Formats: sequence, C-alpha cells, structure tokens
Amino acid sequence: MTIAALTKAWQPMSYGFLDPSAKRELRRKMLKAIAVPGCQMPYASREVPMARGWGTGGLQVTLTLLKPQSVVKVIDQGADDSVNAASIRSFLSKVSGAAETWDTLAATIIQSRHRIPEERLRADQVLVLQVPNPEPLRPVEPNMSIARQMHADADYGRLWLILYEQMVRAGRIMEGAAYPALVNGRHVMTPSPIPRWDVPKLHMAQHLTFLSAGREKRLYAVPPFTRVEPLVFSDVPYQVEDHGGLTCHRSGVTGYFMNEIPQDVGSVFELSDSHLGIKAIRLSQAEGGVEGAADQIGPTWYENGVMP
Amino acid sequence: MTAVPIPDAFEARTNATFEALMSALSRPGTLHPLPTPGMAGIAEALVDRECRVYTDDPTLAATIANFGAALVPVAEADHCFASHPTPGILAQVAVGSALYPDAGATVIITATHGTGQRLRLTGPGIETYTDVILGGVADIWPQRAQNRYPAGFDLFLICGGQVMGLPRSTQIEVL
Repeated sequence: MTIAALTKAWQPMSYGFLDPSAKRELRRKMLKAIAVPGCQMPYASREVPMARGWGTGGLQVTLTLLKPQSVVKVIDQGADDSVNAASIRSFLSKVSGAAETWDTLAATIIQSRHRIPEERLRADQVLVLQVPNPEPLRPVEPNMSIARQMHADADYGRLWLILYEQMVRAGRIMEGAAYPALVNGRHVMTPSPIPRWDVPKLHMAQHLTFLSAGREKRLYAVPPFTRVEPLVFSDVPYQVEDHGGLTCHRSGVTGYFMNEIPQDVGSVFELSDSHLGIKAIRLSQAEGGVEGAADQIGPTWYENGVMP
Repeated sequence: MTAVPIPDAFEARTNATFEALMSALSRPGTLHPLPTPGMAGIAEALVDRECRVYTDDPTLAATIANFGAALVPVAEADHCFASHPTPGILAQVAVGSALYPDAGATVIITATHGTGQRLRLTGPGIETYTDVILGGVADIWPQRAQNRYPAGFDLFLICGGQVMGLPRSTQIEVL
C-alpha cells in the first residue's frame, strides 16, 4: 500500500460542498430513516455556509443527493422567489452544476420550507422538507431522554391530551401547522410546519420524503406508500384549512391553499404555491393569444378544493 | 469560484450507488442497477472510519480496512457484508432496540432473483403487496421475523449487477 492509494489529489472544493465523509454519514442515516419511517435518526449536521435554522438540515440532505443531472426546485412557504429559497437554489446549483427550476413537474429534488407543492409528486422525485423542531413530544416532554423512551414505548397519549384540551377550550383543534401524524402505525412525527392542508399529501404518496433538522441534528423519512395518519379522535374528523372555496385574486384559480393578504377592507387571497399561479396566468394569456406559454399544469392532489 | 464543479469518478460512483440503495430500500422488492457490481462498491459509498464492519470475504476485508473501518465480529458490526450468511450468523447481527433503532445493522448479502423461495412482501414502500422469488439465500426469514419492530436489521440483496432492499419495516411471508 502506498500513500498515494490512501489519499486524493488536491481539489479547490468537494463536489456538492460536503466532504465525502459527511456524505457517507448522511447516507447511512438516510437509509436508517427510510427503514424506520417517521423515526428520528441523529446525525452529525456539518457546518454549511448558512446559519442554523435557515434550512441547513434540508440543505445537507439535498447536497448528498445532488448530481450534475439533478434539477432542483426550492420553495419557501410555497414561493420560489423569496430570498431564502433563491439563495439556497443558487447555492445548490453553484456547488453541483445541477439545473435550477421553478416548475414542480421538471424538478427531481424539491427542497421546501413549510409547503408541499400542489401538483402531485411522482415516484422519481424526492421531497426534502426543512424542519425547525423534529420532536412532536417537545410540548409535552421537554426532556429528550424521556421523549426517546416515550417513542420507544409508543406512548403518545399526551399528544391526544393536547388536542383534547384544545377541543375543550376552543371548540376545535387549534393545531395549525406541524400537525402530529402517526407514520406506518408506529412512530408519531411532526411533518415540519406544513399546514394541515399538506399532511394528507404524504399519506400513501408516490414519492420519497426526507425531513431534516440541521439545528436539532435529526432526520427522518416517509417512504412512498407509507401510511401517514394525523392524530384525531374517532368522533372528530381531521379537517384541512377551509380554502377550497377561495379564489386567487391574481390568477383566478380556485381550490388550493391560499395566502391571505389583508386589505383596508377585508382581505384578498393569492395562491401559496406561487409557480402554480404563474403557470395558470401564462396559460390563460396563451388562450388569449399571447405567445410564449409552453407551460403545463400537472395533476394536483386537491381537485376543486377537496382531496379525492 | 466560477467553474461548474464536475464530480470525479469516485463521487459519481458513490452517488449513483447510494441512489440505487435509497431507491431499493424505499421500494422493497424492486431491483435497481448498481454502477459497480458486487459489495465493494456499496462499502465504498457507505463505510468509513466511523464504522465497524463484519465480512466473511478476505479480499473485501482488505478493501474495507483501506477505508478505515474496524473489522469486528458479526455481533459488534454496524455493517455486515456476508456472501452467503447462515441463519446462525444472522441471529447474531445487531438489531438495535426500540430505544435506539438506528443501532440495527445494515446487512448486505448475495442472492439470485427468479429462482427459489417465493416471498410476499407488504409494508411501507409497497402499495398493496409484491411477490418476489429469491434463491441462493438460506432460510433466514423465520429468524428475521423474530425481531420486534422497530428493532431489526436492514437487508440489501445483491442479485448480479442489481440490488434489492428489504428494510426491517417490510413484512415477509414465505409462500
């Protein structure tokens, strides 16, 4: 054996920013996360050129998956053009040579903060969700070691207690985002702060989802065709946000998750999935004879405001 | 830095190997092509000085030692590369616990697809059920069924140049 066999030639930067040993560690943990759906796996969470809490967990998973043929879409609350999303996307492309896109249909890897696109993801796509707080038990048990024991025992009674208390106090379940969900009938996970509207999109989906918390150094996964059941009572069904009847004031599209924009009098609404809105506007212009619209809207999870 | 980064052969190979392993594990019972046939390619993508590895193949042991991994008995290993494991070997594989499911080992074995035992798979990654026919593997399935989920080990079967994943979440019924 020679020194040359054990070392590598000098490079200005590792491909995809992370060094090979960081990638191997993430790979090992990502495989374990797939093998035990919804169970949080600890990982080292390397330094990346971004502050913890701004999507470093999702970034590390995406960097591990990237190759030059990848096409990445990054969204922040549904928008492709927010500063955070645009910066992450251009960083990913810069360190890997991967193509950037805004179009859900064109992407191979979708990194997202707090939304799942409205168009159905396919089997060849991977969704990477950035997670601020991966522990669903934290509101009821701040001690990590005890929370781990509760996960081991599938002791989730206190989560139902929170929901029950909300029912008693407010008359309905107040959990707006990060609604706890039982994965594969065994582990309760927090699906990152996606709205209730998006949680059913993970249930028996075609695509693989990774959820990664960089600051908390844990990642977990929802493989395709895995049961993801929000915690409910048998007499209180799960309810998504009442957005089915709202219309986007810019694109005229109805039946998807909307952002509310308060006005002097009342509010107007616009599509939260911003590129879906852009495509809808371009398509309506194409019908009106304006050139340059080669867009396509794929099948969506919700149809006319309800999930079939 | 203005030049577009280009992955070297090692990076491209290990990335493609991991993609095959990830797809195989998230869709149990389906075959995914490996960029390099055999176990050394998988070891290259996953194993380094943080790992404890068991292997029954002396050539592979030398390769893995090069990656910096410790070579240990099967009970202490987090990655087991065993060409033809007996149920006795698999009985010793680390399965972790409900408290630490990630301590369950990754086990890589060889198999032949298309002849032999008929298995019905159900669980995450499978919409209803999948039937696979696997040969060249000892009857390890009753032994595997003893593990209480989420404890268990995750199996990769190398069938020629392809890999099939059987995570611990998959229920296997021998038909």
